[in-house]
Amino acid sequence: MDAKDILLGLPKPTTTPTPHGHQLLPLPADKKSRPPKESQRKPDGISREVYALTGGLAPLMPSVDVNHLKRRAQSENEKITWQWLPFTSSARKDNLQLYHWVRVVNGVPPSGDYSFAKYNKSVDVIKYTDDEYEKHLTDPMWTKEETDELFDLCERFDLRFIVIADRFPTSRTVEELKSRYYSVCRAILIARAPAPGDIAGHPLVKDAYNISQDVERKRALSMVLSQTKQQERRDAEVLAEAKRISEARKAAKGTDELEVPAMTDTVPDDNDGAAAAVDSLSPSPNAQFTSGAIAPPVSEIASTLASLRMMRVYLRTHALEQMVQAASSSAGLRTIKRVEQTLQDLGVNLKPKVPTKAVCAEHLELRKEILTLLNLQKQLQYKEAEGSSYRDGLYAETPGTPPKRVQRAVEQDRTFVPDSFSFGGERMGKRDQKRKAPGRLLEGPPSPAQSKRPRKFKASDG
Amino acid sequence: MPQSSSSSKKHGTDQPDTGGPASKSQRTKMVKSSDDTEKKNLAKKLKELEISVPIVYGNIAFWLGKKASEYQSHKWTVYVRGGTNEDISVVVKRVVFQLHSSFNNPTRVVDGPPFELSESGWGEFEIVITLHFHNDVCEKPLHLYHHLKLYPEEDSGPMSTKKPVVVESYDEIVFTEPSEGFFSRVQNHPAVVVPRLPAGFALPPPVPLEDADKRRRGDTKDHTLSQWFSNFSEADELLKLAAARQQVQAHIATLRRQLSLIDGQHQQLKSASDILVHLR
Repeated sequence: MDAKDILLGLPKPTTTPTPHGHQLLPLPADKKSRPPKESQRKPDGISREVYALTGGLAPLMPSVDVNHLKRRAQSENEKITWQWLPFTSSARKDNLQLYHWVRVVNGVPPSGDYSFAKYNKSVDVIKYTDDEYEKHLTDPMWTKEETDELFDLCERFDLRFIVIADRFPTSRTVEELKSRYYSVCRAILIARAPAPGDIAGHPLVKDAYNISQDVERKRALSMVLSQTKQQERRDAEVLAEAKRISEARKAAKGTDELEVPAMTDTVPDDNDGAAAAVDSLSPSPNAQFTSGAIAPPVSEIASTLASLRMMRVYLRTHALEQMVQAASSSAGLRTIKRVEQTLQDLGVNLKPKVPTKAVCAEHLELRKEILTLLNLQKQLQYKEAEGSSYRDGLYAETPGTPPKRVQRAVEQDRTFVPDSFSFGGERMGKRDQKRKAPGRLLEGPPSPAQSKRPRKFKASDG
Repeated sequence: MPQSSSSSKKHGTDQPDTGGPASKSQRTKMVKSSDDTEKKNLAKKLKELEISVPIVYGNIAFWLGKKASEYQSHKWTVYVRGGTNEDISVVVKRVVFQLHSSFNNPTRVVDGPPFELSESGWGEFEIVITLHFHNDVCEKPLHLYHHLKLYPEEDSGPMSTKKPVVVESYDEIVFTEPSEGFFSRVQNHPAVVVPRLPAGFALPPPVPLEDADKRRRGDTKDHTLSQWFSNFSEADELLKLAAARQQVQAHIATLRRQLSLIDGQHQQLKSASDILVHLR
């Protein structure tokens, strides 16, 4: 009795009303009428159980017409039998007799090699003579026995070096085995070639196996794969900064003649490799950072000047607006707001009241200088954060006495930059506070020990 | 202030007479070719120059007080004048003031100096002032936008019929790549700021087209409203800007010093951490 039976009982309630309303159990009278209904509905082409999976209803749209299903060709004229027959495979070198089911058509078994034999490929491993070995292949790190063993294994295992390394009697790394194998092959190739030019194009001759490069590559790969999420993030940041700096340099190249030291590869070396990479990046482009930040707008400014010239007539206020936009093209909205706040602090009108040529020029230069100032402040914050990450690295590695040594070395300079390199947990929180206050930037970075603290700007100044 | 052009002249008329007719024709030929190259150089130089005309535009509005009606509460004048009240009609051919559509004939054209328009009304709105220049000056018109202000600021006390509300804006019209004709015509005009031509180049002085009387009338020095005109002096602004720049530059120097110090610190730390790595 399945759910359908129960449900089909519903439309025919009993005449005797019960306190619970409709009676759900089917009455014997209903059962007789049901089987003929179901057999009527049995579909063609698919079994009843499968049809029942659809919920007993045909699909709204025919998915596959049964007539479209492929019919086996010649199934009427031929007699097909299946027989358990022995077979041979060219892939096997022994005399093992195997059996399998074979589709026999009209009493004729299929001919031809075992269908999977063609997949039995192997590598042609070079075979050298003892003479050749003496002449070309001797190596202080390898005995002849070892080399012979290696080549035997290579033959057996089709250059599957992982397996070969496992089976190798003496412990050799995969890279060492590869190196030996390829250098032997290369030497043989060169020795046997009638003229050196013949094999100059051979990949083994052109690009020989470089063991150190391979070792390095695998190590780097494993480093990358085993990086923690934090390191991944740091690397992304470093790469983004590198990209930004190289782009800035490209623009600066067009305008400045600064010498640019080559960027080192930012593959992480140790756990604090990311920090080291950042460090190697920032000092070198430090001198170019400010010019790099300003350099991209130079092309904007030039194109703005050109477009103004094309206009033939314009208002000086309009020209100043365009130039200001061009000069701030590399800055974000927040930076622009900070520039404006700084101008207000200095008592300078955001738009000059008397925009003569001289006034506009001065105004533009002032804005550019403020941008430089803000960039430098950002750099300083960055550097201070770097200092803290250094200490994190130090603490992570040596939680004992060594930090004191470093502390002493840095504390000697304490008088100059006190706040940035304070040790001890109580200052950590203060440093980590982000300075998000808009404006008030002219009061300088957090270095109160400096005697020359710049005054707060007032409108009455100047 | 307008600059007077260089007084050195290299035109053929100043060449000394040293010979017979044959050599004279030769000389004129030589003079002519040097004239041509000079003309080319002059044209090139003019391309790099810009001529500017300082202007002030804005409005003066008087409250009509007792005479004010609901729709005519103020009498106002919108205008464009020379920055130093000189006559700008040397450059400006006519000015079109586009008023609010509720005015009759909202497009008001003023064909000569003084370039102003007076009206009465109650509402404040944006007026588009279009400057059309003489043909040899520039073919494109220039648009200025001024918000008509009639009502004083909240803190300036009750309205008075005697003291008007004045809003003026200073700006400078810049003409790039001026034509020779334009340049020579305005090079000595007080309303126009003309850069000094480099030594050796000169343009003939302009033929005075208008009589001096007509020219003087176009200026606004004795305008009835001139007592309300603002004085725009670039000196104050320049001083402020210079002082601001000094402060910013000093700050930049300080930061650069700090940054280099920190770099030194980092080097120390880095070498320390390197040592520690090896100790492990």
